[in-house]
Amino acid sequence: MPLGSFKAGEALTVGVELELQLVNWTDFDLSASASDILHLLEGRPFPGEAKLEITESMIEIATDVHHHHEQLLGQLRSIRDALVVACDRLNVAVCGGGTHPFQRWSDQRISAKPRFMQLSSLYGYLAKQFTVFGQHVHIGCASANQSLYLLHALNRYLPHFIALSASSPFFQGVDTRFDSARLNSVFAFPLSGRAPLIFEWDEFEHDYFAKMEKTGVVESMKDFYWDIRPKPEYGTIELRVCDTPLTVDRAAALAAYLQALCRMLLQGEEPDPVEDDYLVYNYNRFQACRFGLDGVLVHPRSNRSLSLRDDILATVERLAPHAAALGSEAALDELQQEVVAQGNHASFLRQQFVEVGSVQGMVDAAVTLFRKGRSK
Amino acid sequence: MLAGRRRHGHRKAGVIPETLLPVLTGIAWPAAIAVAWTVGEIAYRWLSLPRISGYGVTGFIMAANQGGFLPDPSGGPVALLAHFAFALILFELGYRINLRWLRVNPWLGASSVLEAVSTFAAVFIVAILFAVPLVPALLLSALAMSTSPAAVLRVANELRSAGQVTERLLHLTAFNCVFSVLFFKAVVGYWVLASAGSAFGAVWNSLVVVAVSTAIGALFGVAVPALLRPLGDADRNATIAFAVATLLLTALTHALAFSPLLAALAFGLVARHRRVILSQAQSNFGTLGDLLTVLLFVFVAASLDWRPGPTGIALALAVITVRLAVKAVATTVFARLSGITWRKGALTGLAMTPMSVLVIVLLEETSHLKLYALDQVAGLAVIVVLLEVIGPLVTQRALIWAGETRQVENR
Repeated sequence: MPLGSFKAGEALTVGVELELQLVNWTDFDLSASASDILHLLEGRPFPGEAKLEITESMIEIATDVHHHHEQLLGQLRSIRDALVVACDRLNVAVCGGGTHPFQRWSDQRISAKPRFMQLSSLYGYLAKQFTVFGQHVHIGCASANQSLYLLHALNRYLPHFIALSASSPFFQGVDTRFDSARLNSVFAFPLSGRAPLIFEWDEFEHDYFAKMEKTGVVESMKDFYWDIRPKPEYGTIELRVCDTPLTVDRAAALAAYLQALCRMLLQGEEPDPVEDDYLVYNYNRFQACRFGLDGVLVHPRSNRSLSLRDDILATVERLAPHAAALGSEAALDELQQEVVAQGNHASFLRQQFVEVGSVQGMVDAAVTLFRKGRSK
Repeated sequence: MLAGRRRHGHRKAGVIPETLLPVLTGIAWPAAIAVAWTVGEIAYRWLSLPRISGYGVTGFIMAANQGGFLPDPSGGPVALLAHFAFALILFELGYRINLRWLRVNPWLGASSVLEAVSTFAAVFIVAILFAVPLVPALLLSALAMSTSPAAVLRVANELRSAGQVTERLLHLTAFNCVFSVLFFKAVVGYWVLASAGSAFGAVWNSLVVVAVSTAIGALFGVAVPALLRPLGDADRNATIAFAVATLLLTALTHALAFSPLLAALAFGLVARHRRVILSQAQSNFGTLGDLLTVLLFVFVAASLDWRPGPTGIALALAVITVRLAVKAVATTVFARLSGITWRKGALTGLAMTPMSVLVIVLLEETSHLKLYALDQVAGLAVIVVLLEVIGPLVTQRALIWAGETRQVENR
């Protein structure tokens, strides 16, 4: 299947996909209920999109294309409200978080859809281990080349998104000591990591993708599990490193942060990305996964060490005029609060574990937080 | 078949020397459990049948009433152990019930009332058509309302099934057991009043037994989590603590001639809503639960006195058919309104076929009253035997058809 043309559109539009956990109310283990919930939602007005994911205990929701943080947040909240109502009718609880803290991957049921069955037979246990929950943010691009430029220009900022969204400290019942254990699962896939440094869409399409396709290793862009990848059929780039946060408000704030960052990058405020930027890429990514906001980055150009926390705060400050232009000051304020005062959701979850003393109590807290602020 | 007809199965010592008899009696139960377990595993691994069906068949064949070596256990220590085994299951069932769901989705409650009450009515009509006298007919109808919690929970856990059919099956089962016990006790109260003319006896054996049993169970539900909390690490300690409490509760209610059954259900329900969280590794109460389940199902089959005449078999088949049809239709009626497909609604009803264990335990519980009325229902034993074997199989199929079990994957 050829790559197809890049459906360029308006730059800096934004859309969000969230993979959410479905858990039961008794012991808060994952509950294979996605089909039942989707059946219930069928043929009723739903303020967004909801679809099946690889295992039956995940559900994916998606927003429309938005220009502003406020509308995006509004839609995410309505989707959450509608989803919670549907789940309540079926005695299922729904929550965020990058991993379920104690599910056993061997217990998961692969969704009955040809693509998922095929993935399951190819990847074996990796497919079930892939019962992890991410947030994907799409940013609209005015041209195919712009998408490739943005994709690479963002390389230095990727750890920000990992640390800010991290919400997967526990995996298979134990504290992994990572803030985002989820990304370790993603990293196990052969085609994960970074995209090759190519700036021309023609070259990307004919020299890279066509060759890869010929090897038989990939069939479509979906087979690449890159941290950021172009999505030609939407005309966007898709950031895929975020854990699903525990609240939709945090998810909207992260999307707004990316939108503002892209605006800054498109105005040429940074030097163009080069291959050497990627020398420190995996190391920085690890720092963010492992230590979250306490991570220490190496700047790809100056090779100086920077505290991730300080780097985010400095970036937030730099983005102020862009946030003002896009109307997303509230979102950046929320992130600033997170960095300065509250900590990320991984630390929230660890704190719950200490207070309640059980992994089940942690999921209970996540469920409660997700529902909080619902309009009745 | 000859010696086995005697009520307590004491065999003549003609073939076996007198001195060996106590030894053989002593090992009868452990041996029966070993045989039943083996048959259960074979049934499960080779034939993909639910294990409990295997236990049931074996228990039935080995029972003295059928000419086997296993004495009728009613009233003995084995019976108390079986009660404990059943109480553990009821506790777990109660623990999985979310009462808030009824408020959010009232159609679920409507399905529950509809399926229970219409089963009662339909079975009563069948019994009357078969010329069963009034009181036995009422008792039979009350018992037929219930689904066996032991069978559905074991099968669901064995298949690790999860989804709407499973969830509704467990909730509707818990509710129809409560209905069944309430109706049964009410009829018993009426029977005591009618036969002995004792208003005190009537009220005591219905209202007081129900209320006090529930209250004791609820008290445990509040007290046990409260005691556990200061111990900390609720995660690890809860299972054994709940098992010990259930044992105590069973012995206590049994000694006082209240209902261990209602008490255990109330205990689980209240403990759940007090939110000490039982982790998943401990479903079925682990190995302890597995072991006691073998005993429970052998016990149930062994306590039956199987002497059906042709009418008994006809009545049994009629009751089983009508009950199955009524439950399947009743759960389908409100299926869409309660948020699932017609198909899943019907499968829920189908999965509710088993009824044996609750019936036997409920009868045991009231055996001190000498309910001769029930001896007039020749079909009851047949119903229990057939459903002990077929019931779990139907539940298993329904859950598999609903797609709620883990698929067998190709490597």
